[in-house]
Amino acid sequence: MGRILAAPRDWVASLGDIAQFSARVFYEVFGLRVFRFFGEALRQAGVLILGSTMVIWSLAFILGLQCGIEGAYFNRSVGAPAYAGVFSAWCDLREIMPYAFGYMMSAKVGTGLVAEIGAMRITDEIDALEVMGISSMTFLCATRLLAAFMVLPFMYLAAVGAGFFASYLAVVEQIGEVSSGGFFLIFWMFQNPPDLLYSLIKGMAMATMIVLVGTYYGYTAGGGPVGVGTATAKSMVLNVVGVHLIGMLGTQIFWGSDPRAPIGG
Amino acid sequence: MVRATADRAFLPVKNLLEQVGDMMILTGKTVMSALRPPYPYGGEFVNQFLFALRLCWFPLVLSMVAVDYGAPGLQAGNFLVLFGAIDRLGGFFVLATIREFAPNVTAIIVAGVAGTAITADLGARKIREELDALQVLGVDPVKNLVVPRFLALMVITGLFDAFAIIAGLSGGVLASLSFKAPLGPFFATLLTNASTTDLWGSVVKCTMFGAIVAIVCCYKGMTASGGAEGVGRAVNSAVVIATTGVFAFNYVFTQTLLATHPEISVIK
Repeated sequence: MGRILAAPRDWVASLGDIAQFSARVFYEVFGLRVFRFFGEALRQAGVLILGSTMVIWSLAFILGLQCGIEGAYFNRSVGAPAYAGVFSAWCDLREIMPYAFGYMMSAKVGTGLVAEIGAMRITDEIDALEVMGISSMTFLCATRLLAAFMVLPFMYLAAVGAGFFASYLAVVEQIGEVSSGGFFLIFWMFQNPPDLLYSLIKGMAMATMIVLVGTYYGYTAGGGPVGVGTATAKSMVLNVVGVHLIGMLGTQIFWGSDPRAPIGG
Repeated sequence: MVRATADRAFLPVKNLLEQVGDMMILTGKTVMSALRPPYPYGGEFVNQFLFALRLCWFPLVLSMVAVDYGAPGLQAGNFLVLFGAIDRLGGFFVLATIREFAPNVTAIIVAGVAGTAITADLGARKIREELDALQVLGVDPVKNLVVPRFLALMVITGLFDAFAIIAGLSGGVLASLSFKAPLGPFFATLLTNASTTDLWGSVVKCTMFGAIVAIVCCYKGMTASGGAEGVGRAVNSAVVIATTGVFAFNYVFTQTLLATHPEISVIK
């Protein structure tokens, strides 16, 4: 019995650790103590922009193409190819763009944070920071969360744009059963600004979780170079599951009881 | 100035293309040494298979139920309720779960859970120079380390696809119940619309995803370098390349399947 319960107990324990760690990082950020290291936060924002933007946009683009062709074929099969815009609008904006963003954030940014901070931890650089009188939690973790808050909303909105463009290419230019005017008429009719805001909230919830999980696993890495690799792998497990759960909860909260469609009663 | 800008812009691209080429070579080597006797990799294959099974099953089931309850279940269900056609939700799940979400989520989970573990493991062996030691002893690392992982991930990703479909459909059942709809029509439209082509397309696609993940993760692990940060960096770029590769392949495969088998996109 003890052995069976060991694994779930470990999960609960590490979830508690992560929650405690996250609360401390949030306190550093929202207690405005992070602004002592605003320069470092700006530098991290620059790293995020230069390093991760292109891969996130390209994944959003690929998944937008995917939404487009599935939508075009599905609407052809129900005999309404002109309505492919409905499928694209809902699929892109509400579901697939948050997932694409979450996948690429956890793959590129989350594991990158673990690798970077974990290497600092095992080469004792974090202890050196503490000895110099700099709060390592503020300097390493809170600045990265602030950088994520500064950069990611814009990156996310542009990723949604990349997905829309890809769906347009797939439906209108590639399959070509609907004119571009007909596509956009339906496409814009079936979405409105609150939908975009909800989608952004979903994406930012995922991004916050990913940055916190990444910094936690990096900050608590141990066991030499091998330990950094293991911690990186572990953070990815938690991130992918978390992305799917946040996606589901977001859909349930924002669209669960109200489809927000311009039709019906 | 122009030269420096060009270098900055094109060196990463050149680097990426070189890596893709190296991965192709590794794929060729892996397939050749898997087929050519002797076959010393049986035990390692079983180990890796069980390892991936143990790590992945729970995240996979949880993620599939969550994704399919949210995306196709609630969103498409809401849309169908407007037309009073909630019974067609099962038919939509053929497209959503069997064709798209089950293979893709399986690939993401396998890449993120088993693939990262493989890269971390091989990368650790690389920087401790165990791989070089193996070669000195006359043991071929491709045959003894890469081939069993490649085969194990391919087989297990293909098999996981079936469980992902089951978990996804139970997410759909949950969504259907949340609309207070009876389940009979859900399964009726699901089973009339599902075709064998959909199922083999899904399983073949998923198996290929497993092959992509395995090759990328093994390659990145075996070429890890740079001490402490190296293994972490290797895991990072392995999971990025695997994710992008899987979705790019998915687009090509789905487009080909839909265009060559028009009968699967006929609503029955």
